[in-house]
Amino acid sequence: MISKDELAYLAKISKLDLSEDEAEKFPKQLERTIEYIDILAQLSSDDPIVLDLQEIKFDELRDDVINTSGGRPINKNLTEDGFLKGPKMK
Amino acid sequence: MSNLYDLLAFEVVEGIEEGLFTAEEYVCSVIKRIEDVESKLHSFISLDSEGALSSAKLIDRKLKEKENIGLLGGVTVGIKDNISTKDIRTTCASNILKDYVPSYDGTVIRHLKENGAIILGKLNLDEFGMGSTTEYSRFMPTHNPWNLDYVPGGSSGGCGAAVAAGECTVSLGSDTGGSIRCPASFCSVVGLKPTYGKVSRYGLISYANSLEQIGPICRSVKDVVMIMNIISGKDMNDNTSISSSPITINDKSNNLDIAIVKELIDGSDDAVTRTIYSTSEKFKEIRCECNEISIKNLNYALPSYYTLASAEASSNLARYDNIRYGFDLPIDDYKWDNYFSNVRKNFGEEVKRRILIGSYVLSSGYYSKYYLKARRLRSLLRLELLTLFKKYDLLIGPTMPILPFKFGEKIDDPLKMYLVDINTVIANLAGIPAITLPVGFSNGLPIGLQIMAAPFEEQKLIDASYALENTINIQRRPNLI
Repeated sequence: MISKDELAYLAKISKLDLSEDEAEKFPKQLERTIEYIDILAQLSSDDPIVLDLQEIKFDELRDDVINTSGGRPINKNLTEDGFLKGPKMK
Repeated sequence: MSNLYDLLAFEVVEGIEEGLFTAEEYVCSVIKRIEDVESKLHSFISLDSEGALSSAKLIDRKLKEKENIGLLGGVTVGIKDNISTKDIRTTCASNILKDYVPSYDGTVIRHLKENGAIILGKLNLDEFGMGSTTEYSRFMPTHNPWNLDYVPGGSSGGCGAAVAAGECTVSLGSDTGGSIRCPASFCSVVGLKPTYGKVSRYGLISYANSLEQIGPICRSVKDVVMIMNIISGKDMNDNTSISSSPITINDKSNNLDIAIVKELIDGSDDAVTRTIYSTSEKFKEIRCECNEISIKNLNYALPSYYTLASAEASSNLARYDNIRYGFDLPIDDYKWDNYFSNVRKNFGEEVKRRILIGSYVLSSGYYSKYYLKARRLRSLLRLELLTLFKKYDLLIGPTMPILPFKFGEKIDDPLKMYLVDINTVIANLAGIPAITLPVGFSNGLPIGLQIMAAPFEEQKLIDASYALENTINIQRRPNLI
């Protein structure tokens, strides 16, 4: 069983705030999924991992081209004097 | 002539070019159809009727001036709402992107527009493509046009329902573990997941990059060929994309060797099993050999898939940090971590579950136990399939092991929901192409046949599907109104 403490730790490293309801039901749901994927333990660790899904052709990498971003401006509350300003670390 | 909205893509192009109707008349017919049925289906998250009408008028003007209108001139396309469309909201059916308007078109959208296709709007999905019913959409579930009490499949459920109901000519979905094939099967239309790399993923909002591909959902095999030839090809913005030969419609299938995968049939609903076996008999009518085989490593496919997909999701969704995407919250009231986690409250439960599982399988101590084992299985499965494809041209089985089910049946049990993907994840893990074709009904609910081929052998899928489509006589349009 995934304990509430383990769930809290997973949530912390995933940067997720869980609601009370989620904190209550997620341990059991995640446990069931992890039990299901546990069948992978039966597989040998000796088989190679073959990275052949798509052989990346590095000679075909495109040239870097500098363009102006037309995207959403970075959160305006986080910019000051042309710098990015973040929330306090602690 | 039947209702214009009923026409297939190639009929639309021919009709407009021959002057049987104008592009504007056709688009008006489709928009009227949407007005008539959308309140029952909820396929669309965003609809751009105005943009579609002005594109149609432009096509009519070009035709009048004897200009080229493109290979898809006048065809209306619905786009899954996780593919970037310039100036059209692209939400991934998530609250976190509910106001996101991309500044660029994904490569597939650019190709469609350059060939005269009309982008009609954005279609519903499970949030970020995580789900098999559209019940995980943060906006609303889409309903199955064959029976409104039932789910349309997912995650591209809006795409399947809209095409089946005539709300657009064709649609583009994305398929990470079956997200094109599941709704295509549940809605009785044709859906193709291409070989990994055949279609550019540039502009597809990432969930699990090593598994996902964009592909068409259509009402006929011929339409699938039309769309695939437009959207396929090498793209400098996606280094995993590769150029490949175009596909065509051949009137004769070429004595294909076909194998039914026993494990895909085992555990299926009886009605599904019966339909798949009777369909396999039809292959003999079109001069194809059909044998039964086993795939040794299939047991491990679904656990591997959920390990890899969740791991990739946990990494991909880290970008929603309220700096590049999110909301303009002031920073004064927050500390560093809370600032990010506060905005990430906008993820739905299923997305949070997958991020948590991803963090779990990637964390120290579990990485080699789960993630690396899943990677190994993926290699083994691909090698096993490539060996089988030396002997057989195609592998077949049910697309979905069960019939469409009612809303709410599986939503409280995530594992039960994951199990419905058991037959479709194989193609994503192995990077091979797979198509689903409508082959029958049970109690009015659709059944689809899945056909898989070796990498870049889409032509064989098309040959078999086209021949089979012409031998199977089933109802093609749901009785919605």
